[in-house]
Amino acid sequence: MSAFDLIAGVLLVASALAAVTLKNAVHAGLALVGNFLVLATVYFALEAQFLGWIQIIVYAGAVMVLFLFVIMLLFDAKADVGTGRMPWMRPLAAALAAVFFLALAYAFSGVGPVHPLAEIKLAGGLPGPLGRLLYGPWLYVVLLIAVLLFAATVAAVVLVQPGVRGARKKPQVLERERELGEVDR
Amino acid sequence: MSYYLLLSALLFAIGLYGVLARRTAILIFMSIELMLNAANLAFVAFARNSGNLDGQVMALVVIALAAAEVAVGLGIIVAVFRTRSSTSVDDLAELRG
Repeated sequence: MSAFDLIAGVLLVASALAAVTLKNAVHAGLALVGNFLVLATVYFALEAQFLGWIQIIVYAGAVMVLFLFVIMLLFDAKADVGTGRMPWMRPLAAALAAVFFLALAYAFSGVGPVHPLAEIKLAGGLPGPLGRLLYGPWLYVVLLIAVLLFAATVAAVVLVQPGVRGARKKPQVLERERELGEVDR
Repeated sequence: MSYYLLLSALLFAIGLYGVLARRTAILIFMSIELMLNAANLAFVAFARNSGNLDGQVMALVVIALAAAEVAVGLGIIVAVFRTRSSTSVDDLAELRG
């Protein structure tokens, strides 16, 4: 295990913990961006260069910008709003996560290198070798992903289009809008 | 090499804690992204482990799925916020719109 592995592991765990515990949703989102960027460097180290760049462009770029945009759109920066309906949930969640980690670690404990490392031919995970797989044995998966992305685009547009489903507004929404209107005046 | 598998298990467990402990839909969603990334790390580590690129292709598939999931999920969150003025999952205990 090299120094890089150690530093990357510490950074990954620290940013992940920050992302699930910080009170401010914008701070949590930025911690998640840091987590994704460190994960991209880990991909580079594991001979997955194309995947590392895709991680930076798609995850740290597009997905997290969308998240931060929605957080700011919905005035939802306060992460832990509302009264805890189940105050015992937090320690229970920590205990469950610990048990789950131990189970996964036990399952992974028997995994060793299949081939000696000298024989590994990943070609650095460059787009060329990956493309030959994607347009060869994985072709139908690529086509299905195309259908899925199209359906998701249509669904996202229909879901947020105002007035399509004649949304009935709840009383608290009307009250909130009245408050916002008073602020504007 | 099993170091990165352990790291992926740890990240997945942290994401699981986030899903269970957070009370806002957006933050639960962000924890789910954390879990997806942990699974991706396991895929890449397995690919390195067995000298087979299929694991990396699978990770690419997961990233594409996550992009579609984010588009629809955030659309649902925005639509719910329009009718309820809140994204706290405690307020979503009933199925009526």
